[in-house]
Amino acid sequence: MTIPEVIPIVNVRWDDILFLILATVMIGSALLVVILRDIIRCGLAMMVCFGALAGIYVIAGAPLVAATQVLVYIGAISVLVLFAIMLTQTKAAPARLVFQTQAVPAALAAVVLAIIIALAVGSTDWGAAGTRVRTATDALAKVLFQQYVLPFEIVSVLLLAAVIGGVFLAKRDEGEPL
Amino acid sequence: MSWQDVAIVGPLVGAILVAIAILLVDLVVPGRRGPALTVALLGLGLVAVLTALAGRTPGQAFGGAYTVDALTTFLDLLFISIVGLTIVFAPDYLEPRDLPIAEFAAVLVFALTGAMLIAASTDLLVLFLGLELMVLPGYLLAGFAKRDSLSTEGAIKYFLLGSFSSAIFLFGLAYVWGITGTTRVAEVAAELARVAAGGAALQPGLALGLAFMTTGVAFKIAAVPFHYWTPDAYQGSPTPITGYLSVGPKVGAFALILRLFVGALGPLRADWLDVIIVLAALTMTLGNLVALTQGNVKRMLAYSSIAHTGYMLVGLAAYAGGRQEGLQGLLYYGAAYTFMNLGAFAVVAALQHRPGVTSALETFAGLGRREPLLGILMTLFLLSLTGIPPTAGFFAKAYVILAAVQAGGALSVLAVIAVLNAAAAAFYYLRVVVYMFMREPVAETEPQRHSSLVWAGLWATTVLTIVLGLVPGPLLSVVTDAAKALTS
Repeated sequence: MTIPEVIPIVNVRWDDILFLILATVMIGSALLVVILRDIIRCGLAMMVCFGALAGIYVIAGAPLVAATQVLVYIGAISVLVLFAIMLTQTKAAPARLVFQTQAVPAALAAVVLAIIIALAVGSTDWGAAGTRVRTATDALAKVLFQQYVLPFEIVSVLLLAAVIGGVFLAKRDEGEPL
Repeated sequence: MSWQDVAIVGPLVGAILVAIAILLVDLVVPGRRGPALTVALLGLGLVAVLTALAGRTPGQAFGGAYTVDALTTFLDLLFISIVGLTIVFAPDYLEPRDLPIAEFAAVLVFALTGAMLIAASTDLLVLFLGLELMVLPGYLLAGFAKRDSLSTEGAIKYFLLGSFSSAIFLFGLAYVWGITGTTRVAEVAAELARVAAGGAALQPGLALGLAFMTTGVAFKIAAVPFHYWTPDAYQGSPTPITGYLSVGPKVGAFALILRLFVGALGPLRADWLDVIIVLAALTMTLGNLVALTQGNVKRMLAYSSIAHTGYMLVGLAAYAGGRQEGLQGLLYYGAAYTFMNLGAFAVVAALQHRPGVTSALETFAGLGRREPLLGILMTLFLLSLTGIPPTAGFFAKAYVILAAVQAGGALSVLAVIAVLNAAAAAFYYLRVVVYMFMREPVAETEPQRHSSLVWAGLWATTVLTIVLGLVPGPLLSVVTDAAKALTS
C-alpha cells in the first residue's frame, strides 16, 4: 500500500507538514539553547536541534548528509560538548550568563533580520534550486571526489592546522599546576 | 587529476610540506630555534621559487577550481614575504617569553597555505575553505601567549567574531549558489552578467546574499563598523604576531575580495559600489580619528591599520566606478603597506625584546639618542605610513586616490576624504617621531642588543619601503599585469 503524496482532506503535502513540524522543533530548541540558564540543558536542547536538522536534510532529499549529521553532530560533537561542560564546570557558576546583557536588543535585531530574510527569500525566483531532487549517494561521491576533490583535500589540511593549534593551547607546560 | 595539475598546485603542496617539516624537525630536536627556523626559511625560499616557476605557465587545475595567473603569482610572493618576515622578526620577542618557535612557524605557514589558496581560488567553496585555513591559525596566534590574560581575551574576541563572520559569509555564498546553481567563479560571473545585461532589477535573494558576503568580508578586513575585535586582538597579541595579523589576514581578505567581488560578482559592481564607498569613507575616518587619541603605539597602529583598510577600499571603489587603475592601486597599496607596517611593528617588537617593556608612547621617548638607527628606521616607516615621498606609502596613496579622482562622481568626494584623512594621520604618526627625538626618556634604559636576524629583516623592509618609493615602475607593471589577469 502506498501513502498518497497529499493529505486527503486538508490538501497539503506530507513533506510540507513534516517540514513545518521539524522546522518548529529546530527553531524552538535553538531558542532554548540561548535562553536556558542551565548549561547542561542548553547542550541537550542543542542535540534536539541537530536531530531536527537531520530530519530536514532527509526531506530535502539528502539522506547521506542526514546520516552524517546524526553521526557527527549528535553522535560526536554533542557528546564532546557535554563532556567538556562536565569536566570544566565549577559549582560556583554565575547565576546569569555573562553574554546575556544585551538580550532584548539582540532579540529585536534577530526578529527584524528574520523578517527581512523571509521577505527576500519569498520574493525571489530561485529557478532550478526550488525543484525537489533526491541525491543518490553514489552521485554525491562522484561529485565529491571529482569536481570537489580540492575542497575535500583542503579540509584535511584545515583539520591538521586546527589540531596543532588546539593541542598547543590545551597542552600543560612542565611544572604548571593542574 | 594529471601531472599538469600537480605542477600548478606545486607551490601550495610545497607550503603544506614546509609546515609539516617544521613540526617534524621540532619533534627530532625539540625546543631549539636554529633547526626549525632554518627549515622554515629555506622552505619558504623554495616555495617562492616554485611559485615563480609555476607563474610562468598560467593555467587551471581541478576543473577550473584552482587558477594560476599573474594575480596568483603576485599575491603568493607577497604572502610568502609576509610570513618570511614575520618568522624573521618573531624569535627575538618569543624566546625571552618562553614561547615556542617551531609551533609558531608551523602554524604561520599553515596560514600561508590558506592565503595562497585564496589567491588561486576560482571556486566559491575553495575560497571559503582558503579563508578558514588562513584565519584559523590567526586565532591561535592571537592567543599564543596563553598565560597572558590580555592575549587570551583578544584571541577569544577575534575567534568569536571571526567565526560568526565566516558563518555569515558562508550564508551569503549559499544564496549566490542558490541563484546561479554553480560554485565556479567563471560560471557565476557569466550567469550574473546575463542577469545584469537583461536590465532586470536585482533579485531580493541575491541582494541579501551580497549583503551577507560584504558583511563577512568587512569583518575580516576590519572595516568600520565591523572593526570592534581589532584593537583588542591586536593589542593583546605578542607584538610580532600583531604585525602579522595587521598585514597577512588583511591582504588575504583583499585577495578574497578580488577573486569574489571583482571576479565572480564583477557584473553586479554597480550594485555594490555604493556600499564600498560608504565603508571606505567610514573606515578611513573613524580609524584615523580614534588613532589620534591612543597613547599606546601598538593600539595606535591597530587603528591606523583600520584606516589603511579604508584607503585600499578606495581603490576597490574606483574599480567599481569603472577605473581599472583602482585595482592596480589596491594591489600596489597591499605591497607597500605590507613592508612599511611590518617594519614599524618590527621596531616595536625589537624595543620590547626584554619582557615587561610596554608598547606605550613613553617607551619611545629618547629612542633617537639611545638607539639612533632604530629611531631612524622607525621614522622612515612612519613617514611611509603617513604617505610622504619618497617612500612606498606615497605612491600607494597616490595611485588609489588618483584612480578615484579619475572615476569622478561620488568617488571624487571619496578622494577628498582620503586626502583629508592622510593629512590628519600625519599628527599621530609624527607624534611618535617627536617622542623619539625630542623627549627625554622617563627611565634611563640600556640600549638592547638585537639579533642579526632582526636586523636583516629590518633592512629588507627598509630597502623595499624606499625602493618602492623611488622606482615604482617595476612593481606597477607587475600589478598592472595582475589586475589585467583578473578582469580579462
